[in-house]
Amino acid sequence: MQARKSAEQARNFSQCDSLLIGDQCGAHTFPYIEVKNTTASVEHEATTSKIGEDQIFYCNQRGISTQDAVNMIVNGFCKEVFRELPMEFAVEAQKLLGVSLEGSVG
Amino acid sequence: MSNKSLLRINNLQAGVEGRAILKGINLEINAGEVHAIMGPNGSGKSTLASVIAGREGYEILGGEIEFRGEDLMDMEADERAHLGLFLAFQYPVEIPGVNTTYFLKSAINETRKARGEKELDAVEFLKFIKSKAKLLDLPEDFLKRSLNVGFSGGEKKRNEIFQMAALEPVMAVLDETDSGLDIDALKVVANGVNQLRGPESAQLVITHYQRLLDYIVPDVVHVLHDGRIIKTGPKELAHELEDKGYDWVIKEAEQPA
Repeated sequence: MQARKSAEQARNFSQCDSLLIGDQCGAHTFPYIEVKNTTASVEHEATTSKIGEDQIFYCNQRGISTQDAVNMIVNGFCKEVFRELPMEFAVEAQKLLGVSLEGSVG
Repeated sequence: MSNKSLLRINNLQAGVEGRAILKGINLEINAGEVHAIMGPNGSGKSTLASVIAGREGYEILGGEIEFRGEDLMDMEADERAHLGLFLAFQYPVEIPGVNTTYFLKSAINETRKARGEKELDAVEFLKFIKSKAKLLDLPEDFLKRSLNVGFSGGEKKRNEIFQMAALEPVMAVLDETDSGLDIDALKVVANGVNQLRGPESAQLVITHYQRLLDYIVPDVVHVLHDGRIIKTGPKELAHELEDKGYDWVIKEAEQPA
């Protein structure tokens, strides 16, 4: 994120959320912020969450398989972002996600 | 009352990380019956519910659980659910970005598929789900919100009962569903359970207090202590426990016969 000298009253909010799948991964986020105008207001937020065994068991208990549960949880997580994408890409992104998640659990 | 056995637990022993929690549970629940399990904190109530539902992380040290004539021990949690087993959670989990309607649609259709029934299409499902929501007096926005996210304790428990009503289980296990509920929410929960009662189904109500049992009147009351059922009696036993506490039952059980 860069706010140039002439960017009077610039406003920025960056959000960076990570969802961890499995116990072999981690998340590192590097927000890069460069502000050259003192009237700019810049915010950054980062969260890391994990697909919990509790969530999977809850889904399983309702009859949803582990594979479908993971798909559902990840899609729910990404929905906010997908909503902002152009229609064609949103559909594609969802399919890609489905493919890349296959076999990631169990 | 029919005498068809739905759930049969025989000498069940289970624990966590080498520590035994359930030390030989025997329990038989027939179709048409409502059983209550009461007991002090740490007696193994929630462990029993979790083991019946097939939660991972428990070591089964011995014994059997049979549900509708099938051995549950070799079954995954979702397969047990497909057989008609439902667990109302003590602490329902939150799933951000997944609304209650979508969640339930997946649950119901996966269950129907597993049973060889036709899946419901979007229109059929919405009609079905709205009628269930009406039955429990749920506001419509409930269905659109992310599953349990930002729900109050009472709303989460109502959502559990709503899901139970929608899934129409053969056997529902309620794990301290009454904890943290005010009297109105308690009545909603009880109402939902009572509507499920029928000659072909059964309910197992796990609770710390007698209060819920004023509204869901059980046929049988069991007292769980230190991983064993130490006393079984009619519904009046619950009142006795409320008046006198658990100590006298525990003492009675410890005395040599």
